[in-house]
Amino acid sequence: MSIFIDATTRVLVQGMTGQEGRFWSEHMMSLGTQVVCGVTPGKAGETVHDRPIYHTVEQALRHHTVDAAMVFVPPRLTKDAVLEALAAGIKKVVTIADGIPLHDTVIIRQKALECGARVIGGNTSGVITPEVAMMGSFPHWIERVYKKGTIGVMTRSGSLTNEVTAMIVEQGYGVSTLVGVGGDPVPATRFAELLADYQADDDTHAVVIIGELGGTMEEEVADTIQSGRFTKPLVAFLGGRNAPKGQKMGHAGAIITGGKGSVADKIKALEAVDAHVAKRPREVGLLLKQLGVKP
Amino acid sequence: MKLHEYQAKTLFSEHGILIPNSRLIVDLTELEDALAVVGFPCVLKAQVLSGGRGKAGLIVFVRTPAEAREAAERLFGPTHRIGRLLIEQAVDIAQEIYAAVTIDATLAKGLLMVSAEGGVDIETLAVEHPEKIHRVTFDLRDGLAPYQATGIVYALGFDKNVSRTLANVLIKMAELFMRLDAELLEINPLFITTEGKIVAGDGKLIIDDNARFRQVEFDEEFLEEGDEAAREAHAEGIPFIRFTGDIGLMCAGAGLTTTVYDLILDEGGTVANYLEFGGPNYKKAVKAMEICLKVPSKVILIVTFGTIARADVMAEGIVDAIKRLKPDRPIVTCIRGTNEQEATTLLEAHGLTPLFDTEEAVKKAVALAKEATS
Repeated sequence: MSIFIDATTRVLVQGMTGQEGRFWSEHMMSLGTQVVCGVTPGKAGETVHDRPIYHTVEQALRHHTVDAAMVFVPPRLTKDAVLEALAAGIKKVVTIADGIPLHDTVIIRQKALECGARVIGGNTSGVITPEVAMMGSFPHWIERVYKKGTIGVMTRSGSLTNEVTAMIVEQGYGVSTLVGVGGDPVPATRFAELLADYQADDDTHAVVIIGELGGTMEEEVADTIQSGRFTKPLVAFLGGRNAPKGQKMGHAGAIITGGKGSVADKIKALEAVDAHVAKRPREVGLLLKQLGVKP
Repeated sequence: MKLHEYQAKTLFSEHGILIPNSRLIVDLTELEDALAVVGFPCVLKAQVLSGGRGKAGLIVFVRTPAEAREAAERLFGPTHRIGRLLIEQAVDIAQEIYAAVTIDATLAKGLLMVSAEGGVDIETLAVEHPEKIHRVTFDLRDGLAPYQATGIVYALGFDKNVSRTLANVLIKMAELFMRLDAELLEINPLFITTEGKIVAGDGKLIIDDNARFRQVEFDEEFLEEGDEAAREAHAEGIPFIRFTGDIGLMCAGAGLTTTVYDLILDEGGTVANYLEFGGPNYKKAVKAMEICLKVPSKVILIVTFGTIARADVMAEGIVDAIKRLKPDRPIVTCIRGTNEQEATTLLEAHGLTPLFDTEEAVKKAVALAKEATS
């Protein structure tokens, strides 16, 4: 089992005829993902990797049954593409674009909440169930990172995810499903909202969150554990422990203001509910072992 | 992009929010004319982007031309070297309030925050009396509704006359926030004058860089503060922060870079600069190294674990950068990710000793920095 995506998930790709869409669709398919069709306005009648292309999502849905939409369009067009998928009734959407305007991300999340849909992204690599299926841009062939297993991983980061996941794999573990919620200040789906799915997934024995300074997503995870809605072991790694106050390091979301959202606050919140916080990436794998989590 | 106070206030004024009578000057020769227009008493406000201007002596209240001249000379002088000075009429203040519009990320809505107690200690108030800061959220597709603005001003206990005017200002703030794709629009203090007018005493406006393509052109010339390295990095869209330590960071990805920063401090090392050349910048190794070399550091530490940002492409860039720039200090590399093997071969062929473990690379950089110091 897994969460969000498995071998049966039928995926429509928006922006499939573009360079990025074409490249990553092929790799999604090579992993085993069921890509059924693509959408690019103006390109109906063409095919990419033997899959038909349609002008609009609505048109595509007249010919195919689709479970999820993968959005490979530039950041300034992302909001419209996601709203199109949601309007057509698709309940799972992944959008990876880096650079979506803040107000657009707000409206994407708002609309997703209204539709009861799960939108993942932006500013992410997407979602992968290693050795089974993926939506996004993961080099799934890198074995020391993308190995099948029992650890659910949620992350706000890109390269740090590879770093930490490699340390999980180094200790003999693998990943059930990795969800990149993304590095934007307003991700469409937040860490805490995915915990119920990991709780229900029998193949996930523990969850690792890869967070960073700024925002309140890690604190919300602590709240969910506190409420008893998530009971599996949880290990967190948080970047930016030593970040100087008031500095904006990288992501727009990574701003510390008035002590709130600092890594120290997050560690305090998580440790108060018996979650474990690793100081170094390597400790993540070691902590899972210490906790007796089964690979 | 953070705007200067005078730029924010110009936008406020254009949108119907009152601001004090003022003039912007760029050198002492313009002072006299500005004072003639603004009159006394007035306030001289240095236009810099850092906070805490009052405490740093960058805002000066003056009553006479002599006082004004003295303050302006000091601010334009060698200690502060400010580029622009706002000469602003002093307002007769009955009350200072706080008002800000930002985003509530969890609810995915606009968030208006207002407190009847504005001024410099708003952060203390937020911690000690959070109940004194009233909040209301609004849908970014609809804007702040008049009933919401009215609700918040009456909840704050303002009388009928002030309430009507203030509610209007709050609606305008929300409109401007939406129109400008702002991350933050803050007015602190927002004055209620003795005549019952609502006037913006300050203005903090941060525009979302991702939305620049659909926004008005802002005068960027004066927004770039810092040294040459910082300006160059900004022009290239490369995230960069200058520190004063020993190790120059040239990493990929915000999360990984901040983690490397953490690990260096844990090892007892210090950081000369934060620089991130991942994501869309992964082909800019030459430029990144050029910027790093402008910062005095003892060693440059390169750590990446890229997926789309391919290891071989980054390694190629690094080799190219070394060839062209001939760095005068040691370079530690830890390049992993897509096509890692090719990257390793390439780095080794050019005399580098690539490492594959972040902690090991950090330890080596800290050791090299210490060696260079002793």
